[in-house]
Amino acid sequence: MTSLVNARGVSKHFGAVRAVDDVSFEIEQGKILGLIGPNGAGKTTLLKAVLGLTDCEGELSVLGLDPFKQRKELLQNICFIADVAVLPRWIRVTQLLEFVESVHPNFSRKRAENFLSQTKVRSDAKVRELSKGMVTQLHLSIIMSIDAKLLVLDEPTLGLDIIFRKEFYGNLLNDYFDEERTILITTHQVEEIENLLTDIMFINDGKILLDAPMESLADSYVELMASGEDAIKARGLGPIAEHEMFGKSVLLFEGVSRDNLEGLGELRTPSVADLFVAKVKGARK
Amino acid sequence: MIGNQLALLKREVWEHRSIYVTPLAIASIVTLGTLAMLMFAGGFAKQLDIAIFGAQNIAGDAERQAALTGFFVGTSGVFLLAAMILTIFYTLDSLYAERKDKSILFWRSMPVTDAEAVVSKLITAVVVIPLATVATVIATHIVNLIVTSVWVSAKGADAGHLIWGSVPLIDNWVAALIVTLASAIWMSPFIGWFLFVSAYTKRSPLLMAFMPLILIPIIEFIFLRSSFFADAVFSRKGMIPLFRGMDMEGFFDEDSLHISEETVSLLAHLDVVRFLTSPSMWGGVIVCALFVTAAIYVRRYRDES
Repeated sequence: MTSLVNARGVSKHFGAVRAVDDVSFEIEQGKILGLIGPNGAGKTTLLKAVLGLTDCEGELSVLGLDPFKQRKELLQNICFIADVAVLPRWIRVTQLLEFVESVHPNFSRKRAENFLSQTKVRSDAKVRELSKGMVTQLHLSIIMSIDAKLLVLDEPTLGLDIIFRKEFYGNLLNDYFDEERTILITTHQVEEIENLLTDIMFINDGKILLDAPMESLADSYVELMASGEDAIKARGLGPIAEHEMFGKSVLLFEGVSRDNLEGLGELRTPSVADLFVAKVKGARK
Repeated sequence: MIGNQLALLKREVWEHRSIYVTPLAIASIVTLGTLAMLMFAGGFAKQLDIAIFGAQNIAGDAERQAALTGFFVGTSGVFLLAAMILTIFYTLDSLYAERKDKSILFWRSMPVTDAEAVVSKLITAVVVIPLATVATVIATHIVNLIVTSVWVSAKGADAGHLIWGSVPLIDNWVAALIVTLASAIWMSPFIGWFLFVSAYTKRSPLLMAFMPLILIPIIEFIFLRSSFFADAVFSRKGMIPLFRGMDMEGFFDEDSLHISEETVSLLAHLDVVRFLTSPSMWGGVIVCALFVTAAIYVRRYRDES
């Protein structure tokens, strides 16, 4: 496996605030990595550093390049949607395609037109005449027609209704993703993407709390629903989080074997959202 | 690199349609003005006959040339003024609008460097706007000459001799091109300053661009009783080192009513070498380069989130 992104001790601070604090991680080719964090956790700053939009301390290499110094070369093989609402409102769809075609060596206009023909986006329309969902379809059609090694999505579906969101991720998986490509995605709506991720990373206060393949979560984390005596017994095993549900205690364990918990109650793999809340709360204690 | 630059320039024209709409609007006004004048003149049939007779038989080529050149210079001047105003608004908007509507995040997601993007805006101001202006000036002249020829012919005069035979088209157009481009280069420190303000300011670029130009001379005068800044900045307007000293007496030599070929030629009044070797011009170009570099730096290093 080749690693596309290599970060060693990456930091970025704004005055006294450390937005990203000594972070190290790798992203391998063919992965879909979800970067999850509360507002102000440093997600966007980290993505900007990866995209070469902001400089940072530490060692950071993306596709073997220094993203800040070699941004132009980098952007020929990496593309991103920073936010859905950033396409210039004055531009016509045909002009947009023409522009990307002339500056981007890896863009296929034919492919983009093909994607667009499946939507309601008219080629002579201006961006300002399109609905927010249509602008996203347009942006995604362009991005999916760029033969890039790494796709970075920062809250790509913010403000879209559920139909567009489902369609967005459906298109991404069916028409774009293959083992050659790598996707890095951040979102608040964890539930919607958790089943398409191969890897997950939690970030809070500029630090990484968890960096693991999705399939390893079932081995490392288990959630137990128990009551009465069983719950007290389970508490002795050191859960990392606990909350009440339907009068029962829900305890989350890290690195505790399922065999030890068997018989104390109902066992299941925690959802990413629950795990995330537990990790962030744990980190704040 | 060049392919990118062409795409970027095209993009500027798409976004700022005023680059060609403004000169076209002026062209329409000039043409309508000509039509109105011709119709108005048509009411004075007798005087007109005498005027045409005079123009054909008494006036020499140089006089006819002077009359048409007068018209050309007058119209070109209006275009030049419009281009200046257009350039101010264009440069102030060019790096501000993309931040305001956040589309800068899209533009910066393309494999285009910040230097390429900012330079494309500089080229638009210094080359594209002047070229669009001169092209429209030429088209306007041709349309107006055709309209006038038709009218003159309808009055029974020889338009071929009166108008086309006398009109120093190439001389006028090359002169218009040189003056327009040279003016843009001469004013380039302002263009650089406007681009920098456009990249830097968080609000109202127009105000931010002009406030220092007004406040600094006042402050300088109050505290230093000098006008170094005002002299350096504002006297620039009038003293473009492009023209030879003009001999106005020779131009209006009433006794002989003679206008020589040389005084009529616009090109003969331009001194391109003087312009290109002017330290003042090069000083301005350096100031422009510094501001543009600062604009690139701001676009590259400022975090927009």
